Amino acid sequence: MLVMKRRAGESFMIGDGIEIEVLEVTGSRVKLGIVAPESQLIVRKEARITRDENITAARRLDPDAIAALVHRLWR
Amino acid sequence: MPRTLTAYFGELEYSDSAVFQFPYGLPGFESERTFLFLQKPQTAPLMFLQSLANAQLCFVLLPILVVDPQYRINLDAEDLEALHLAPGGQPRIGKDILCAAILRAGDGESEPTANLMAPVVVNLKEQIGIQAIQVDCPYSHRHPLVPGKELASCS
Repeated sequence: MLVMKRRAGESFMIGDGIEIEVLEVTGSRVKLGIVAPESQLIVRKEARITRDENITAARRLDPDAIAALVHRLWR
Repeated sequence: MPRTLTAYFGELEYSDSAVFQFPYGLPGFESERTFLFLQKPQTAPLMFLQSLANAQLCFVLLPILVVDPQYRINLDAEDLEALHLAPGGQPRIGKDILCAAILRAGDGESEPTANLMAPVVVNLKEQIGIQAIQVDCPYSHRHPLVPGKELASCS
């Protein structure tokens, strides 16, 4: 992992098209400004994890798998 | 009474008052806006979040307090607004809101887990729901669902 220190008001580039600026630092929170082409999807990592988990969780279970879940909860 | 096909329980009759609106869908399923919560004695304490638009889509859930009786919800201002809840406080699980974790069933290689990082939260009075992604929270998106003390409250 590349690590760099930046202060509020400073920025850095990813490739040619993406600029990330540190706008404000208060306590443990950092406010970032992102300039990127519209084609770049930007999501919080928790949202990506949640989406991936949902897609896996939405797979249809067979009745045995449901029975096994219930059994596990009551055991 | 309207009827719908379900993923796990065949065709069911439901009343319009049992329909929950998810104005933003769920991450990965943004276009799914209306769901039913199903519970059956033979599969208790599991809950089923059945899409009304897509009969094949049904999430398996557990009430969050069954997974972790100490669970603390922390909804931010945006979540509270989406749920039509008053700002400035946290709703009470079981009284103001229903809060449940989406399960991932295990397979041969992995154990079943519950997503405690992003619970499904529903305003019971208004029947509006969201999946509330908890930021800065101590909870895992793959909380192991192991039998034992934690799950004792449901037996």
